[in-house]
Amino acid sequence: MAGGASATAPSTYSPSPNQKKKPPLFKDGDLDWVRPDGREFHQCRPAFFRTGAVNAAAGSAYAEFGNTKVIVSVFGPRESKKAMMYSDMGRLNCNVSYTTFATAVRGQVLDQKESSSMLHKALEGAIRLETFPKTTVDVFALVLESGGSDLPVVISCASLALADAGIMLYDLVTAVSVSCLGPNLVIDPISEEESYQDGSLMITCMPSRYEVTQLTITGEWSSARINEAMQLCLDACSKLGKVMRSCLKEAASASEES
Amino acid sequence: MGTPNAVGDWSSEMEVSAFRRLFPLRYYERHLSESIRPDARPLKRARDTIVSLGAVASSDGSALAKIGSTTMLAAIKMEVMTPSVDSPDEGSVAVEFHMPPICSPVVRPGRPAEVAPVTSKQLFDCLLSSGMIDLKELSLIKGKAAWMAYLDIYCLDADGALFDAALLSAVAAFSHLRIPVVSLNDEGRMVMVSKELEGEKLDKEPVDKERRKLSLKSIPFSLTCILHKNYILADPTFEEESIMETFITVVLNSSGQLVSLYKSGGPVLAHTSAIQECVALTRQRMKELEEIIDEAISTMEID
Amino acid sequence: MNGLSLGEKLFVQGGIAQDLRSDGRKRLTYRPIYVETGVIPQANGSARVRMGGTDVIASVKAEIGRPSPLQPNKGKVSIYVDCSPTAAPVFEGRGAEELSTELSVALQRCLLGGKSGAGAGIDLSSLIVVEGKVCWDLYIDGLVVSSDGNLLDALGAAIKAALSNTGIPRVHVAAEASGEDQPELDISDEEFLQFDTSEVPVIVTLTKVGRHYIVDATLDEESEMSSALSVSINRKGLICGLTKRGGAGLDPSVVLDMISVAKHVSEQLTDRLDSEISAAEAVEEE
Repeated sequence: MAGGASATAPSTYSPSPNQKKKPPLFKDGDLDWVRPDGREFHQCRPAFFRTGAVNAAAGSAYAEFGNTKVIVSVFGPRESKKAMMYSDMGRLNCNVSYTTFATAVRGQVLDQKESSSMLHKALEGAIRLETFPKTTVDVFALVLESGGSDLPVVISCASLALADAGIMLYDLVTAVSVSCLGPNLVIDPISEEESYQDGSLMITCMPSRYEVTQLTITGEWSSARINEAMQLCLDACSKLGKVMRSCLKEAASASEES
Repeated sequence: MGTPNAVGDWSSEMEVSAFRRLFPLRYYERHLSESIRPDARPLKRARDTIVSLGAVASSDGSALAKIGSTTMLAAIKMEVMTPSVDSPDEGSVAVEFHMPPICSPVVRPGRPAEVAPVTSKQLFDCLLSSGMIDLKELSLIKGKAAWMAYLDIYCLDADGALFDAALLSAVAAFSHLRIPVVSLNDEGRMVMVSKELEGEKLDKEPVDKERRKLSLKSIPFSLTCILHKNYILADPTFEEESIMETFITVVLNSSGQLVSLYKSGGPVLAHTSAIQECVALTRQRMKELEEIIDEAISTMEID
Repeated sequence: MNGLSLGEKLFVQGGIAQDLRSDGRKRLTYRPIYVETGVIPQANGSARVRMGGTDVIASVKAEIGRPSPLQPNKGKVSIYVDCSPTAAPVFEGRGAEELSTELSVALQRCLLGGKSGAGAGIDLSSLIVVEGKVCWDLYIDGLVVSSDGNLLDALGAAIKAALSNTGIPRVHVAAEASGEDQPELDISDEEFLQFDTSEVPVIVTLTKVGRHYIVDATLDEESEMSSALSVSINRKGLICGLTKRGGAGLDPSVVLDMISVAKHVSEQLTDRLDSEISAAEAVEEE
């Protein structure tokens, strides 16, 4: 910690472990490093989805990828707020928020506005907005615990919640990110890996249509590397799509039985 | 069109679900006269209740409580503070109750629900006045350092009786709380003793020997009831709360003493007998909840 | 929203399909770019960029700050864009908020690189004065004065020009403070350090209309787009950031093709922008 007893010290502080400098996750050229959770570079965390997590909502889903846990609720289609102009297309309204205990340090500010707008952009291309004119569908996400790759998990979970709410979709939207750590590409990074990353690439796509709805890149990339990372993500997206589809099927068959 | 007779005539022809939406009060009263509620509960029974501990890995103590479909997630994070001059040997507790937009169609982002700050205050008052937590146990070094327990409760699904579920999750989170082991560093700040070093010889003596539990005394439990005409409905759902507007919330501690009693106005004026009945119901409910918490603790300890 | 009639829409689309756009340009031709530097005397650096009807101003303000404890050896940069209500009636009140956020986020992603600082246009470690204690905070503000499409590219160019126009006062540490105290600083008002902006990437936005993509779309052309890809590319030809706009899905192979086209376009744009910036600075010095 820099500046222990400075005048601006907060009234409370988190007793973080006594580490002057964190050891780097891996050293350059060290080919034997392993990921903190023991996964292979191109291996995703096991994904768990469940629909119908929130009864008060029209549709909802819970997703858990390792330590990343999110709930998404969908409300509507319902009346548009704020004296909006007539529109023969439906509107999509997205919001992402974090619990105060989502991050290791309590109440660490994360950019919720950016996540909300990214969620909107990732989903809007997959929703048949013309099926609910004049009305709004609200997609609200709450990140219970942030364990890395939060945004991709929120996006996948949101598309499942939309399906659960019976909103017409062209296809589910699945999202996967990769981090660039030195010479390696690691898929579905955890928070620790994200904090060391040299760059990241996130794809959201509709797996059955094989279309990219959103793509963001940060860091320095060559075209060949982008190609490699995209292929990696797209493969993972199509696998994730199967997991999500089977979750929906299970929910549907369970409701038929009861 | 709105006369009672007209309603009576329609009721025979209308579909049940349509009737429920158009004339909710009549729909309910019809049920209540048969001593049953639309969800098949007797009037004075609470919904199925589940408590599970340790739901949030990144916190020092956490719990998930579910009453029917009302779901609450509570988590405690411990931070170090300088105790106040008035009470140098006491720690402190901060309670915040959140209603994120996911929990209910009536909450919208950017406009926090009105009930949230009110419930925060009620929870804080209940937890402290019940005498459950001895604030002296949160002290580290007298006058220098003490623990601040930040309790955040998130409503994940709002279906009535929010206060009861929130209090239950808060109590459960405190029973799951393990205070981290810390030691004083050179700069006079507390630092966490990392897991690898625990049990080994340290150059600095930790303030505590091991991860400590709080000894919880006289735990508060609550039950909310609706008063409607002569009926008393325990543990209302969201639908019931929105139709019938008089609630009584009774909070008792595990020694059977009354911690608090809220009745926030409403069209029904309660007789003392009704209040006594509510207290009696809470006493019954307290036994159920105590068992549920004990069971949650014992399953956790087996794991 | 741009109220185009059906005929106008077809005219725009048809022109793009035939590689002859409404204003006579080819699909991959930019409008003329005019750069003016030093337009705001109070700022440490500023520039105005005009491309057709699009007119943007960027300013850089440097202030002494404290590095974050997580990154004690780096300065901080923030980018914020504002859309003036004079640019379009819809920007009045809170109308521009969404667009402003979108542009700010896209610029941050395109110019500031990854978490570890790889691919950043601005070397954050060059902003440090005393490690862990004193650094420069750069506040980069963009203002959209008039909008006729392709705001992101114009803002990227304006920021690049403003940065090359920026002089940061040289700081002498008067007395090395020990322990927790802040060192005493002597900020020179005569000596200025220049930024090396050769690493600052340029942003190329490819707008997809029908089956074709165009650069530097006007507002009319943007209203016909299905999606757009903004790629920031540095002099080495490496991609430093990418964002997609527009809801419509794209086939992955199209994405890759668009990236390679953007890369090709960026080479000419970088050269053109650099010569415009040096010309502007020559004018300013006279």
